[in-house]
Amino acid sequence: MILDLHSHSIVSDDGRAKVENYCQWIRRKALSLDGFVLTEHRLYDDESDYRSLEDEFGLLILKASEVETDYGHVLVFGVNEDLRAALDFSRVDLPLQEVLAQAQGCGALAIPCHPGRTRVGMCAHIETRGLVEGVRIIETLNGGSRGEENATALALAQENNYHSTGGSDSHIVSHIGRCATRLATPVSNMDDLITELEAGRCEAVVWESEEWISPN
Amino acid sequence: MSDQKVVLGYGDVSFGDELPEVIPDVSMPMVRRFGETTGMTYWRFTDHEKAREAGLPGAIVPGIMSQGILVSLIHRWAPEASVLKIDTIFRAPVVVDSRPTCRGVVTDMDDEKRTVELDLTLSNEEGETRVLGTALVSL
Repeated sequence: MILDLHSHSIVSDDGRAKVENYCQWIRRKALSLDGFVLTEHRLYDDESDYRSLEDEFGLLILKASEVETDYGHVLVFGVNEDLRAALDFSRVDLPLQEVLAQAQGCGALAIPCHPGRTRVGMCAHIETRGLVEGVRIIETLNGGSRGEENATALALAQENNYHSTGGSDSHIVSHIGRCATRLATPVSNMDDLITELEAGRCEAVVWESEEWISPN
Repeated sequence: MSDQKVVLGYGDVSFGDELPEVIPDVSMPMVRRFGETTGMTYWRFTDHEKAREAGLPGAIVPGIMSQGILVSLIHRWAPEASVLKIDTIFRAPVVVDSRPTCRGVVTDMDDEKRTVELDLTLSNEEGETRVLGTALVSL
């Protein structure tokens, strides 16, 4: 199963894509994608209901968040009321250690994203402040990152035996599915997705020459 | 370049259509000419050496010139189109004397208003998106 684990809709302040248009684009362009996760910036969107779009287009659409920490940006899967009570998602300086711990305590999963980017990625912070305990998975393929930034992320994962995910980081319709994550077992909801990611039954993939390729 | 036809009206367009891509002229003479016309003659746009000394990758194309390039892409595709709104996000500099590619695709259509939404990008030689945006266009 192929899911794009990092995307933004108009719910994000810099997102310009409507979710329905993502769905139309995936089908019109016959992208080999089974669904995507909306990871809105600094918030969790509990108002939007995409079930009718899931049915109409035969896609899995899940909701998550992208929060900002002292070690860069982090995707949070499995956001629930307990986690939102524990963390102020609107802050731009959340301590990564706390995000990791609170996520684990609330049954969620935190994954540092685009770690190879300067300022908003984890690698630059590791250079000056060291590794953070509790990181088990990082995003090694990000559709908005440059080649060397993704290479830096992959090297970090390999050095520390982190599991890898991929996502387009799309903010406009036509960027959905630029990178994605291959799951060994199909999932149908967020709990199943977290189980697969935590078990490491996932790999970052990019679409090249008409197939999903893992750069690992 | 997937579609070379000139769009004359709303009926000529389908969701997912790609606008004919353009490689715009962002050479130093062109950027200087743009700068003289608009009053943007700052060294960061016109002097590679000074720009590098300041930490930039070289002299950079002014943001409003990039925006103009995106609008010109629309009008090459649909000469009679009215651009109702354009929204750009400047992710990274476009370097003067580079060879960027300007692309657009149709990502939404409103049959009642006869408007289309476009994704617009300006990418460098490595295919990295430097400027991205959307436009609402009446046809």
